[in-house]
Amino acid sequence: MPVNTGLAGVSNDFLLTAVVIYALAMLAFACDFAFGKKPVKAAAVRAPALVGAGAAGPDSGVAADGGAGAAGGEDARTALSAPGGGARTAGLRGAGRWVAIAVALTSAGLALHVTGVVLRGLSAHRLPWGDMYEFVTALTCVAVAFFLAAMIRYRAYYLGLFVMVAVVLVLGLAETVIYTPAGPLVPALQSYWLAIHVTAMTLATGVFFVAAVTGIAYLFVDRHARRVAAGLPTGSDGILRRLPGPAALDRLAYRTVVFGFPIWTFGVMAGAIWADKAWGSYWSWDPTETWAFITWVVYACFLHARATAGWRGRRAALIQLTGFGCLLFNVLVVSLVIPGLHSYAGLT
Amino acid sequence: MTGLRTPPDASPDPATPPDDDFAEPGAAAAAPARAPGVRLGVLGWLRWGWRQLTSMRTALILLFLLAAGSIPGSLLPQEGTNPAAVSQYYASHPALARILGGLSLFNVFGAPWFAAIYLLLLASLVGCVLPRTVRMVGSARQPPPRAPARLSRLPFAVSYTTTLEPEAALRAAAAVLSAKRFRLRSGAGWVSAEKGYLREAGNLLFHIALLGCLVSIGMGGLFGYKADRLLVTGTSFANTVTALDEFHPGRLVSPGDLQPFTVALDHFSASYVTSGPLLGQPAAFKAAVRYSAAPGGPTRPYTLTVNHPLVVDGVRVFLIGHGYAPVFRVTDGTGHVVFDGAVPFIPVETSGLTSEGAIKVPDADPQQLGFIGVFLPSAVDVGGQLESRFPAPLNPVVSLVSYAGNLNMNSGPSQSVYTLDTAGLHRLPIAPQPLTVGRSMRLPGGLGTLTYTGYQQWVSLAITYDPGQLPALVSGVAVLAGLLLSFFVRRRRVFVRARAAESGGTVVEVGGLTRTDAAGGFEDEFSGLAAEISARHAGSPGVDHDPPPHGE
Repeated sequence: MPVNTGLAGVSNDFLLTAVVIYALAMLAFACDFAFGKKPVKAAAVRAPALVGAGAAGPDSGVAADGGAGAAGGEDARTALSAPGGGARTAGLRGAGRWVAIAVALTSAGLALHVTGVVLRGLSAHRLPWGDMYEFVTALTCVAVAFFLAAMIRYRAYYLGLFVMVAVVLVLGLAETVIYTPAGPLVPALQSYWLAIHVTAMTLATGVFFVAAVTGIAYLFVDRHARRVAAGLPTGSDGILRRLPGPAALDRLAYRTVVFGFPIWTFGVMAGAIWADKAWGSYWSWDPTETWAFITWVVYACFLHARATAGWRGRRAALIQLTGFGCLLFNVLVVSLVIPGLHSYAGLT
Repeated sequence: MTGLRTPPDASPDPATPPDDDFAEPGAAAAAPARAPGVRLGVLGWLRWGWRQLTSMRTALILLFLLAAGSIPGSLLPQEGTNPAAVSQYYASHPALARILGGLSLFNVFGAPWFAAIYLLLLASLVGCVLPRTVRMVGSARQPPPRAPARLSRLPFAVSYTTTLEPEAALRAAAAVLSAKRFRLRSGAGWVSAEKGYLREAGNLLFHIALLGCLVSIGMGGLFGYKADRLLVTGTSFANTVTALDEFHPGRLVSPGDLQPFTVALDHFSASYVTSGPLLGQPAAFKAAVRYSAAPGGPTRPYTLTVNHPLVVDGVRVFLIGHGYAPVFRVTDGTGHVVFDGAVPFIPVETSGLTSEGAIKVPDADPQQLGFIGVFLPSAVDVGGQLESRFPAPLNPVVSLVSYAGNLNMNSGPSQSVYTLDTAGLHRLPIAPQPLTVGRSMRLPGGLGTLTYTGYQQWVSLAITYDPGQLPALVSGVAVLAGLLLSFFVRRRRVFVRARAAESGGTVVEVGGLTRTDAAGGFEDEFSGLAAEISARHAGSPGVDHDPPPHGE
């Protein structure tokens, strides 16, 4: 079937609009840091009372840690779990006006983003992740969706600015540098394993994307917390003071990787099965395969490091970021520059 | 039970060994425990070395080495995947290539040092998995531990009063936990419950299945083989060592082990995108073949496409490439037809499928003849230079450089059929001119005539046999299953204490603990359980009770 170029054009319009709206959401998240409600000092006082009452454990979410570390801002969670928590209200409204605006913009951007990706698939009559440009637009879509889910589940509004900066950058680059017009798949990609393998890889990449953003935030907050503990000057720490404590960020990053790692493992295996069907060998140390393996090994290191005394915290976070670095290297350098069996980027 | 009071994410106190059941795998890095001044014997050193090898820190370092060691394998050309690029590297950087070659960096995944890393990792894995399996079998028979004295100090705890007698309250709680398939133990005034033993089983399954993957890969390397064969339309071949262009047998494969099937190529078709910005991108490849499992056996037709290999006798035949084979007829100086056949040309680029090849005519008289040619499937004149602008044969043109002399085919090392060794040849004084189908070229000096009579298509086939394939798949599925179990099953304990209060009624305390809640969610489960238990206690909730914690 021929490519519906009209539909492909509409898809581009949707994606470009999504980038603009994401940029506005990014600004709104930044405004929350700049002009949002100031951190509530009372949180630090209430935290011991909570633990003493035995009603909430250290694992009850972001707020308890944030409060205990005197670094957390207002957080609906504390209000929820503290009986008679007073004036602050739960949910989005409790997070402040700017966050509400930012979340609304992010959701609107995501709706446009999803529509753009779907239209791209419809225009070419196939799954919309057959070349590098489509892969990047799909994985940022997953990252934003996963971030929104994490925000609802863990009230992780504070990640918004960091996730949106990264998404706007990556999606902007995708639209300008690696844009490829819609077309049919090359014969090597005409297999239902494309749906399985690339979908899993896209999902896992989007999830690891959020984990990496959390890991970077963790490194800053951890450094700040150390300086505070050592009585060193901390400089302008407005943003850091509004983030939750290092323990909460570390846990969120870990849970995100735990969610993404099996998907990545499955994706690599699906790729091996596909390679077996297409090239006659389930593993041929093609550069892209090798880097997927390296990424897997580094994330496995992270999971083990977090369970090993002396490797927790900072070191584990650095390992996690190394893993994401390997993944980025694979997407941006290996598949575009190094010749191999995976050279499907559509760029010449 | 000191270990139990550690909050889920706090560092364990190094002075107290962690509770075995609840420790993260390998959390206790083994250290050589010996008093100062005491000399270790040979056995002691061996034991120390084994402990070092199987410690989590060593496993981590080996994992890192494995990752770092793979990097040169992806950045440098490899013998296994691209031998031509390796020889090219040797030609352009001879000094550097010799050093890299000495370090096996052109064959990383077969290098002794790479094998050393993964064999050490294997040993480390076995050393970690074996004792844990033994321990798990032991702990699987153990009942849950006694309830701690003060449940309020557990990470999750609620308490309330009820009008039930303490024994009845405990019975009701036990019934709730039992219905949720918790393992129970009870004593005077308390009930302990534990669940999630599958977590450790999943973790072990994951690591054992990784070993299975390595063994399967080894099996394929020993008993499997890979081969390549280029097949021109209208010809056939049998799966024997002499008929294969490339043959890479496993260590324990002999030529007699090859499955004796034959494959004939009847027709090949390729279709391409004919308009738009992706002009010339391939859209579909189809090869119509006939095959028989044994020579003289019945033949069956099959349509070979890129993702659909032909499976015959456990061996798989893949379509991995295609190209053109122009057909030439050569008449020599004496008037005899000394050559008439298709010559496969190898594509040198993909957008127009420009191909290069060589024609060798050893039977020509008075001199042997040789030609180096370029085949352009869709020749277009671009500023006086011919270029192929589309991969389909819309205007198939061939252009040849002619040589005469000695082809050196009977002496010296074996030659590639796709290139011409011009050492014993002299170039004939005739300018290369583009020939269209049916056109001839008369060679100067009465050496003969060459006619370009048409073209055929060829396919390249990859033939693979890998007996480790199914075990690798099974191991892979087990790896994933183990991973999911160990991530998403949590090992958790719930304790209930009930005692008569001085002011009448019964004080019930419910406490919960988990150390391995990677995916989160114990909060929800605990508050649900606590709510269910308190609902069973008639007359609940009492007067002064704390609300159950809200889950995330």
